[in-house]
Amino acid sequence: MFPDRQTRSFLDAAVLSRLAGVPLFARRPMQGNVSGRHASPHRGSSVEFAEYRKYVPGDDLRRLDWRAYGRSDRFYVKEFEADTNLRCCLVVDTSGSMGFGSKGITKIEYARQIAGSLSYLASEQGDAVGLGCVAKGMVQSLPPKRNAAHLRLVFDMLEQAQSKGETQLASVLHEIAETIRQRALVIILSDLFIEPELLSSCFQHLRFRHHDVAVFHLLDPLELEFKFRRPMRFLDMEGGPAIFAEPNDIADRYNKALQIYLDQLKKIVLESAIDYHRVCIDENYEQVLVRFLVGRAHTKGLR
Amino acid sequence: MTFLQQGMLAALPLIALPIIIHLINQRRFQTIQWAAMMFLLAAHRMARGYSRLRQYLILFFRMLAIAGLVIAVSRPLASGWLGLAAGGRADTTIVLLDRSPSTQQRGAGTTDSKLQTGRQQLVRTLQMLGSGRWVLIDSATRQAHELESPEALLNTPSANPASAPADLPMLLQAAHDYVRGNKVGRTEIWICSDLRENDWTPESGRWSTLRDAFLEFPQGVRFHLLAYPQPAPSNNSIRVTEVRRQETSDGAELAISFRIARSTDSDQKIIVPVQFEIEGARSVMNVEFGGSQAEVKDHRIPLERTKERGWGRISIPADANPADDDFYFVFDNPPPRRTIIVAEETASEKPLQLVAGITPDPSLTCQAEVVSLEQLPVVEWDQIALVLWQAPLPTGAAADLLRTFVDRGGQAVFLPSRNPNDDELFGIRWKTWVGGTDLIPIETWRSDEDLLGRTLSGAALPVGQLEIRQYCAMAGEYTPLALLRGGAPLLARVPTKKGGVYFWATTPAPRDSNLATNGVVLYAFVQRALGAGAAVLGKTRQLDAGNPNGENPSTWNAVTEGDQGLSTESVYHRGVYAADDRLLAVNRPLVEDEARILADARVAELFRGLDFARVDDQAGNLSSLIQEIWRAFMATMLLALILEAVLCLPKVVARPVGATA
Repeated sequence: MFPDRQTRSFLDAAVLSRLAGVPLFARRPMQGNVSGRHASPHRGSSVEFAEYRKYVPGDDLRRLDWRAYGRSDRFYVKEFEADTNLRCCLVVDTSGSMGFGSKGITKIEYARQIAGSLSYLASEQGDAVGLGCVAKGMVQSLPPKRNAAHLRLVFDMLEQAQSKGETQLASVLHEIAETIRQRALVIILSDLFIEPELLSSCFQHLRFRHHDVAVFHLLDPLELEFKFRRPMRFLDMEGGPAIFAEPNDIADRYNKALQIYLDQLKKIVLESAIDYHRVCIDENYEQVLVRFLVGRAHTKGLR
Repeated sequence: MTFLQQGMLAALPLIALPIIIHLINQRRFQTIQWAAMMFLLAAHRMARGYSRLRQYLILFFRMLAIAGLVIAVSRPLASGWLGLAAGGRADTTIVLLDRSPSTQQRGAGTTDSKLQTGRQQLVRTLQMLGSGRWVLIDSATRQAHELESPEALLNTPSANPASAPADLPMLLQAAHDYVRGNKVGRTEIWICSDLRENDWTPESGRWSTLRDAFLEFPQGVRFHLLAYPQPAPSNNSIRVTEVRRQETSDGAELAISFRIARSTDSDQKIIVPVQFEIEGARSVMNVEFGGSQAEVKDHRIPLERTKERGWGRISIPADANPADDDFYFVFDNPPPRRTIIVAEETASEKPLQLVAGITPDPSLTCQAEVVSLEQLPVVEWDQIALVLWQAPLPTGAAADLLRTFVDRGGQAVFLPSRNPNDDELFGIRWKTWVGGTDLIPIETWRSDEDLLGRTLSGAALPVGQLEIRQYCAMAGEYTPLALLRGGAPLLARVPTKKGGVYFWATTPAPRDSNLATNGVVLYAFVQRALGAGAAVLGKTRQLDAGNPNGENPSTWNAVTEGDQGLSTESVYHRGVYAADDRLLAVNRPLVEDEARILADARVAELFRGLDFARVDDQAGNLSSLIQEIWRAFMATMLLALILEAVLCLPKVVARPVGATA
């Protein structure tokens, strides 16, 4: 399972073995360079019949359907669907805010677990896996490749990723949308603490480039509930100004602001047809991945 | 506002407790690294003003609740006595009670007088405030009476109405003497008065002395003035100005002159039924008048010829102030006005004999007799009203006779001898004659009072027309009644126990002055002195309440009594009294009919520099001056707590934010 037998803290072999039973599917046709599990926009040599096509000179005579010629006295070529692999681009937010965690695990650790597991699963089924760590810009990146040695590099990069700096997720997503070749699976792991309007344009851009976009929105339970007893001084993890607040006074307005944000995000997600998963990081990541993989299995094969 | 438990006010700084707790709480903050700052920033921007206001309101209501509790347990008193804030329980409380006739004025729509209301208010107030000891000094006797409790103010005869005027400076002096003599601790002086100018005499120089004297007390003296300055809306008063018994062809009659005054100066005519009571026999006369006053001259009431001496009462229907609705008088055959003249010069003797011997009224008898020094011991001094002395000042037995005469109330007038010596009488000694060539003009004279005062019609005596050619300077202590240019006295008065003796600096002799040829001044002067001297000779006397004028009130027996009082206090109560074979009528003094009220600023000026508080009350006021109001503060505290609780209520969360979409 691990090429170099090196133990990774964010990978659990038992979890991976259980998840191996549910393949990772793309919701859209992918353009791979080798045969794989995913639907391709082109015709290929799979066992799945696609259509009959009139013979034109130059076609391989071996592909003529002689039975059809016998019935109709016309030359037809029988075509089959092509199965290909995919390029899975993992985008992990490594900004300062991802270092927050109130339940013994930080968001970036949680992101490592999910990203590590998904990259392993994708690699196991022959898909190319790439990784981008995003903070103020693209901090580190690996292009999608499908060999085992590359997977080790991905794990190394995940292990070394530190939460630091501001978030400039929107600009990086635009950049990714342009730089990755068309029809890739883009999986974003972030707390998405940016304005929903900026995210909307990013998602639209990725969709325009025919990418299949999945988002794991990582939130801490304390961020959702905002329960404090004493006056608090909140230090911005991304270097912004500190805020002194009486939680009892501000809680209702905080919840209101959060609710407005989530409502806007939901609307954007629906408009952009994003595979969106809001994840509370006290939840078992295995359950989250199962839900993710099963959900995608239901929508696979759309061509 | 004052507090019965003033020590509890020491807890007032606890009001700051909510702020201190708030500040401590803020200092106990926790620091946390926080990711979702965008929501915090958005929450901060949202409704920031209301949140801060709510926070301040919560703090304010918490402070209000503590303040309400502290003030409630301090037992606050509501009153107009704002100056009581620094009060507390006094060691001694002295009540200066003005019981003059004007304080018997009733309030509108009530039968309670100012005095009665003031006493009740004082009782209620002093009971509530408490004190180590209570002392009453009333305006009539000016004696300090220690009271067992404030309630005694309602029962003690010393607080009952009197006809004697008040003298506030003297009352304060009595209070000062009590404080000094008894070495009391912190003292509260409560003055209950109707602020009449005649009672307060604000122009008196005694006020500044008193202020300084009270400021010297180290223990602190606090003054509270319970004032009833409201004038009566419609009050009539009556006063007898003259009573004369005269013989007629049918027998005798009483000629009574009286004056009715009303407090409002209105042209509307009113009819006042005046009732006369002569030793029980009553008659009524209606007097119709407009304006502020009416004067009736010589209203005649027939008398039995044999009735030579008696008493009477004149009254009008009861109105706002019953104390000035009646007036007592006594009558008698006027005694002959006898004068003895001791003169060394005929030029002086004759004019003096003339002016003393000519009667101004046919019903009076005036006799002037010239005697020599040797005849003095045989003179019937108890029948003499006036002595005119133009000779060297007597010494020895003659001087003793004159002193006895003056002490009895007789009048004595001295004129300078032609050859003055060093002899001295009543502290005065003649010096030398001055002038002789030119006329010496008269610079000033006292026309407002004493023997050179204006006439009843208001006209001044023509003193300025006197021509003084020479005068004899005098040495000693005297009060000048008329001054010549250069400051030398023309007429001086030396006070004695019962009035005074007069010294002219010149004589009626033509070489000295034209007193004789002018006549008017000398005649008026001598007749006035003669009248005053004769007043003590008659068997009847009109006295002002509070001023026995030489009589001994302890021997008086009430013939009829106007207001209730102890027999030992007869001199302070109007009525008719018998002393041996003489009849005395005691009435309120003339100044009591003046209704001028002391201005507020003037009152404040009188107490300038002293710890002074004043409240104005009204006669018949039933509500207490002070009352405990801790309930109001307790209610305030509860209200503040409820409001604080309402503001602290957490808002209902509309919809919990789910963990997943």
